[in-house]
Amino acid sequence: MRCDVSDATSDTESVIDRTAHRAIRDPDTVYQWLTYAGIGFFLTISLFPFYWLVVLALTPNRAIADMGVVPKGFNPGAFLEVFEVVPFHLYMLNSVIIASLSTIIVLTVGSIAGYVFGRYDFPGRTPLLLGILVISYFPPVAFLIPLFRLFTGQVTLIGLESPELYNTPWGIVMPLSAITMPLIIFLLTTFYRQIPDGLEDAARIEGSTRIGALRRVIVPLSAPGVATAGILTFIIVYNEFFFSYLMVNGTVEGWSPVLHGIFAFQGSQQVAYNLMAAASIIGVIPMAILVMIAQERIVSGLTQGALKE
Amino acid sequence: MSTDDRSATITGDRSRYRLDLAVLDWIERLSDTQFVYVMLLPVFALLGTMAIWPLLYTANISLHADNIVATNPVGEFVGLGNYVDILTGQANLQRPFFSLETPFTSAVPVTLLFTVGAVAVETVFGLAMALILNKEFRGRRWARVAMILPWAVPIVIQGMIFYLMFQPSIGFAVGPLNELGLISTTPLATSRDGLLIAILADVWKQSAFMALLILAGLQSIDRSLYDVADVAGASKLQQFRTITFPLVLPALLVALLFRTIGALKVYGLVEATSGCNTVPTLSCLVIGLWNGNRYGSAAAVAFIIAAVIGVLLLGYLAQLRRHERGEM
Repeated sequence: MRCDVSDATSDTESVIDRTAHRAIRDPDTVYQWLTYAGIGFFLTISLFPFYWLVVLALTPNRAIADMGVVPKGFNPGAFLEVFEVVPFHLYMLNSVIIASLSTIIVLTVGSIAGYVFGRYDFPGRTPLLLGILVISYFPPVAFLIPLFRLFTGQVTLIGLESPELYNTPWGIVMPLSAITMPLIIFLLTTFYRQIPDGLEDAARIEGSTRIGALRRVIVPLSAPGVATAGILTFIIVYNEFFFSYLMVNGTVEGWSPVLHGIFAFQGSQQVAYNLMAAASIIGVIPMAILVMIAQERIVSGLTQGALKE
Repeated sequence: MSTDDRSATITGDRSRYRLDLAVLDWIERLSDTQFVYVMLLPVFALLGTMAIWPLLYTANISLHADNIVATNPVGEFVGLGNYVDILTGQANLQRPFFSLETPFTSAVPVTLLFTVGAVAVETVFGLAMALILNKEFRGRRWARVAMILPWAVPIVIQGMIFYLMFQPSIGFAVGPLNELGLISTTPLATSRDGLLIAILADVWKQSAFMALLILAGLQSIDRSLYDVADVAGASKLQQFRTITFPLVLPALLVALLFRTIGALKVYGLVEATSGCNTVPTLSCLVIGLWNGNRYGSAAAVAFIIAAVIGVLLLGYLAQLRRHERGEM
């Protein structure tokens, strides 16, 4: 008995011995293993939650109880049922429209500001940039009460009755455009600064107008930066919770985004866990596609925008 | 081309007068400073109505009493009364503002625990992820996509995922973790466990953001420093301590600051997992007061959050200035 145990340990010991020898002779292999272990660890952490959604979505709702980590059954029909129980496609459409409108506004207004801040040195530049930065540090709850009252027509601004934006896409688009604006302005400011001065000067000397030089020289050169800013804005607005939750009443007709579509499954009479999971997967798909095709832009945009601030 | 346009307007043939050219011409005659401010008008308009005006409005009502019964929910002027009441614990809130006896159900401790817990783990994970992604290996591109993916998940779905993992009747995690004594049998309805779940969910989503910022710092480090260290016979660990860590520190601090500010604002994640009743963060408190038509108190709490963020920011800037001076 004792003999057996010592045999077994001596066998493993020799393996450990050999490994240790190799590690000492060549420490780089250890770091190599550590790297692979790390990759495995982080990939598991990142991807397991998605796998868990797939497990739940594929299991028929009656069978969902005391789940392990494999599906109990195979019911891909849940992905279709999602659209029958709740008009989930319309919630998705609302989200895409809201995110697109915000992106258009942020890009139009933000690129002009980024251009000006990036290429002109003028009195008041630094205080203005600082002011814009300060706005981005306020929590969204500090904007909520006035904006909600404004959008529900309870405030008169400079003698004007405010338009009722509650339950319209603008109720979400306008505040989110403002809140995303600082990041985008900083991103585009650094981007426009990198365009060489000589090009614009040359166009001006050639007799082009200010706007003409802007249109023919700066705009074409700025396309990559603007694309990055656009992708980031779209992702941020699509993923946002606060205003998307509070500035609409939760109905499809009231322009509620995906967020309310997901919550709609919690409210239905019978709790359909499989549909919640399926809806979550569908809701993530647009973002997953964006990350796959545009990861370089997202990475550079996030790091530049954040580090330059 | 454009010179022709200009001369057309200047020679002033009335029949060919066009508004767009007139605008172009007017812009052309502005000084640089005037031009800049004209171009900034749209930003001022947007930020003015959607950010500055609301902030001033909130600041103003935070100085007025709550008025629950009247049609106008903003009561009489009370100065800093709301702030004093809230900070001294005299305000009548659904959950205590600050209580060390019930740290998991009072707003300030919950928010601070969430922030410190989440940001600490995110920093460690983010640094590890960044070090890995900085290495060359096959499939790095796809590894990076997989690691960024959680960052791009909508908050509501992030919440839903962790809600489904810790739902007692279905979640695989509840049984084993309960037997280990880590969580109760109903984690989503228990304040301490709800907070833990929120931290886990935040770590899952935000570690990648931290990693990307740190990675940018890593990639700006001059490779030749490592060659010198190799020649000098420094071990990998020594290289990390003397080269990598100090040089990546500024990027790491920026990432830390961003995440801390983000975590202090937490609301949606809590609402989508345990709910504001179980995990009452500061933002939850504001929403609760607002729903109860107590505008003055809600606004005051909102500005207390802003003040906490402001103090953090100033501290960070001071630290940064010292750091820069020390180096130069």
